[in-house]
Amino acid sequence: MTRAMRRPVVAATGALLLAATTAACGSGGGGTESEGDGTLSVWIMQGTNPDAEDFFADVSTAFEEETGATLDVEFVEWADAHDRFVTSIAGGTTPDVAETGTTWTPEFADAGALAPLDEYVDGAGVTEDLVEGLVEAGTYDEQLYGMPWYAGVRSLVYNTEMFEKAGVEPPTTWAELEEAAAALKEEYPDKIAVAVPGDAEFTVYPWVWGAGGDVATLDGDTWTSGLDSPESQEGIEFWTGLATEGGYSSEGATTWRETDVLDAFAAGDVGMAVMGSWTPGAIVDANADMEGKFAAVPIPGKDGGIAPSVLGGSHLSMFETAEDKDLAFAFIEMMTTGEFAQQWGEQSGYFPGQVSLLDETLKSTDPLVAPFAEQFVDGGASVPAAATYGAVQAKLTTSTMMQSILSGDADVATASKAAAEEMTSILNGSE
Amino acid sequence: MTETLPRLGRARAALVRPWLLLAPALAVLAVLLLWPLVRVFLFSLQDYGLREITTGEPNWIGTANYAEILASPELWTVVLPNTVGFAVLSVAGTVAFGTGVAVLLASLGTFWRTVTSSAIMAAWAMPAVTGTYVWVWIFDADRGVFNDVLMGLGLLDDPTNWFTNRWTFYAIVLLNVIHHGFPFVAVTVLAGLLGVPKEMLEAAEMDGAGSFRRFFSIVVPQLRQVFAVVIILSTIWDFKVFAQVYLMPGGAGSNRSVLNLGVWSYVESFGQNRYGFGSAIAVLLTLLLLVVTAVYVRTVLAEEER
Amino acid sequence: MSTTRPLVRPEVSTGRRPLRRSGRRSSRRSPLRQLGKGVLVALLLVFTLFPVYWMLNSSLDAQAGHTSSFWPAEPTLDHYVFVLTEGGFGTFLRNSLLVALGTVLISSALALLASVAVARFRFRMRTQILMLVLIVQMVPLEALVIPLFVQVRDLQLLETLTGLIVVYVALALPFGIWMLRGFVAAVPVELEEAAYLDGASWGRMFWSVLLPLVAPGLVATSIFSFITAWNEFIFAMTMLGGATENYTVAIGLRSFFGVHSNDWGAIMAASTIITVPVMIFFILVQRRLASGLTAGAVKE
Repeated sequence: MTRAMRRPVVAATGALLLAATTAACGSGGGGTESEGDGTLSVWIMQGTNPDAEDFFADVSTAFEEETGATLDVEFVEWADAHDRFVTSIAGGTTPDVAETGTTWTPEFADAGALAPLDEYVDGAGVTEDLVEGLVEAGTYDEQLYGMPWYAGVRSLVYNTEMFEKAGVEPPTTWAELEEAAAALKEEYPDKIAVAVPGDAEFTVYPWVWGAGGDVATLDGDTWTSGLDSPESQEGIEFWTGLATEGGYSSEGATTWRETDVLDAFAAGDVGMAVMGSWTPGAIVDANADMEGKFAAVPIPGKDGGIAPSVLGGSHLSMFETAEDKDLAFAFIEMMTTGEFAQQWGEQSGYFPGQVSLLDETLKSTDPLVAPFAEQFVDGGASVPAAATYGAVQAKLTTSTMMQSILSGDADVATASKAAAEEMTSILNGSE
Repeated sequence: MTETLPRLGRARAALVRPWLLLAPALAVLAVLLLWPLVRVFLFSLQDYGLREITTGEPNWIGTANYAEILASPELWTVVLPNTVGFAVLSVAGTVAFGTGVAVLLASLGTFWRTVTSSAIMAAWAMPAVTGTYVWVWIFDADRGVFNDVLMGLGLLDDPTNWFTNRWTFYAIVLLNVIHHGFPFVAVTVLAGLLGVPKEMLEAAEMDGAGSFRRFFSIVVPQLRQVFAVVIILSTIWDFKVFAQVYLMPGGAGSNRSVLNLGVWSYVESFGQNRYGFGSAIAVLLTLLLLVVTAVYVRTVLAEEER
Repeated sequence: MSTTRPLVRPEVSTGRRPLRRSGRRSSRRSPLRQLGKGVLVALLLVFTLFPVYWMLNSSLDAQAGHTSSFWPAEPTLDHYVFVLTEGGFGTFLRNSLLVALGTVLISSALALLASVAVARFRFRMRTQILMLVLIVQMVPLEALVIPLFVQVRDLQLLETLTGLIVVYVALALPFGIWMLRGFVAAVPVELEEAAYLDGASWGRMFWSVLLPLVAPGLVATSIFSFITAWNEFIFAMTMLGGATENYTVAIGLRSFFGVHSNDWGAIMAASTIITVPVMIFFILVQRRLASGLTAGAVKE
């Protein structure tokens, strides 16, 4: 290229720069601060309901008809939602209403970001109809900050085709589970018999509880983590042993999160895994071939029965930054009661946060609903109800323990002891 | 400078003008780099949480954050060795490899030099975030090509998860950082090499000096400036690796044995809402960098003033 | 700064020397040496290009993530379609382009002015300012994340592209000044003097003499600013927060990875879309880049 030719290029680039920058400055100011002018900004977690966009299109229409205000829904990934909430609280850019994971509600309330809801809930006359466990999780300093919306539970989901081919039945005890895994590995040496993910704390606790251990207990004002008790260690030993001794999991799973488990299961690469009551829809959504090829059973206890599993769920919370709080609650009420709450539960596979609606769901005989319902009622448990539990999660205490065991860096005794110490210290806020 | 215009006017202009020219840049640096640096230090002396950030109220605790950091065994056994050890290795690796490549390029004909330097440009252009995902994919335990090839060659029986072990984890980060960082070194050193008078090289050759000796005794001293700049900049860039660690499996905090100062500061701040504690870590990282680079800076500026 | 500096434009000098060299080299071309060199070049090409190749390969393969094959087992463009439509990378690309161009324009202008000051004038505190410019480059970004976050919040620019541009200008500025300084210094003072003799004012001299001569340097610094803005991760992650519509490519990719962590074909397609434009640009301007570094970082 000659020099004569180069000049115009530089000049043209300059003009382009100028035009583009002007445009950049022009479009810069449009953040999410659209409160007060008849718009309600809302954050909803992504991936809960495969039909979420259609659902919220309907909600928007109904909401506009009822209140005249428009709805601005933003979908947020679970994976980085916590950091994003925290930064938006720090930056004062929170939405008016957001779906908050039950373990986060007390933390955000503690930061002064949420508005108490008791008054509004009483006004709507729904106080008595809220599911107890979710109310508890949403209460901080004796005030309700999170409106129960939905809850879910994790059970053992298995690939029926693989189970049939391997000639095994869904397990009801730990011994049976291990036998099933062995048979699956024999039949499918290249697949994952049972996925033991390293970065998914809620898939670990059922085994802790199933062996009679505790995650953490409150005595007076002091929390003590029980992850290093002999019972807990036995549970962790069994669960991680499936990977480290049995080789029934995969090396990659050491760094997997629940979404990775879901992806791999949906691809037909996994025999069984601890998965949520909301995943069946997502599995079929990701791979239509899986339709009718998987089922669920409650997580077996050590010698039978049901091992408790975390009742995870979401609240709808109102932020202090909401200018029109009545409008914000109108939306919360519309979402958590009546038709929309029920429809959400059906589409997402979650259980509604209202007793009257929940009873309906529990009567279901759908093979992908009933086992979860059984787990929900007979084997539901809660993580420590402390405002600091969110910090334990952010510290990835349990994932750290799992990864160090799965990778062979530490044995169960050492890793669980370290995790218990860290959890106890963070829970008590003695950092 | 020879003065041809009326002396007084130009002299005054020469006094004021540099400051006028500097003003916008200095204003930006002051508001967006210097003041924040002061602030991060102020934060580090507080128990600064979400509440303090929202309300803006101070919450002084003196040097408690520093005391906690310095007393934490994690700092001495994991975080500091990871940060410093990695920086040393990656600076050495980047500079050595980049220089080697520059020497190779200098000896090539025009065609091959163009081909190779285009390839180098391609490596350089790969953003850190994409580069990291590509390496993660290559080394993926179950389906990555690295494990597949090793197993195909019979060198490995079962898939290995390279991200869980501290050493292999950082080996991958090192590969990533060198791949991303060596092009700058290669291009700069090459430019310097081509500026070394060839008479000097030929003179050395006639004395019977071998090519290694020739390189170190003649070329390197000539390029002192070049190496100083390249080493400073590589040090600055390599100490700051964040995305390359944070985005790797386990790198965001679940694998404690791979934490470095940057990631530690970030997860304590934004994960634990302990912005004061995170700030204190950041201050330590800054001090560390300043100490490491102060020596080089003095060298460069000394040359400058000569 | 001294007037004895040779009147050589770096670009010219690097362009000419190889010719003379190749003449010398041919006289001592032994087959063994050539072979060794060939092997080295081959290894180098493999190391530099394999990740790039693997990214392209996976992005074009419908089977990516199921079987690893050295060429697309089932060639498809579906990953690209998916990434650009559902993945939202069209928007991310637009945002990154706006942010990067804005950063380039503003930081180059400020850096040029400042570099003229430090390269052309001797004034009190000059050394201190140079020192400052060098030192601020050393500050780790993680140290600035928290205070800059608060700062940008106070300016009410969180979650906006403008806020990012402001921060990136600050990040790109020190290096820009450092590099352009060399370019300005390389412009012979005699040319300036000649302009004054013709009766030009300082401003006129700046536009008609200095600016055209440092243009290659401006191109080089622009590339650096562009790359800084295009690649930056940690500030974009914290400051854009929930404003998905303002995501840049770097955090757009991370967010995409968060949902599709096992869909390697799509992740690699997204990575390719982000990387290839920069790559082509880099290869096209490589000579300018090299000359920029020569004059900026390397002072003869």
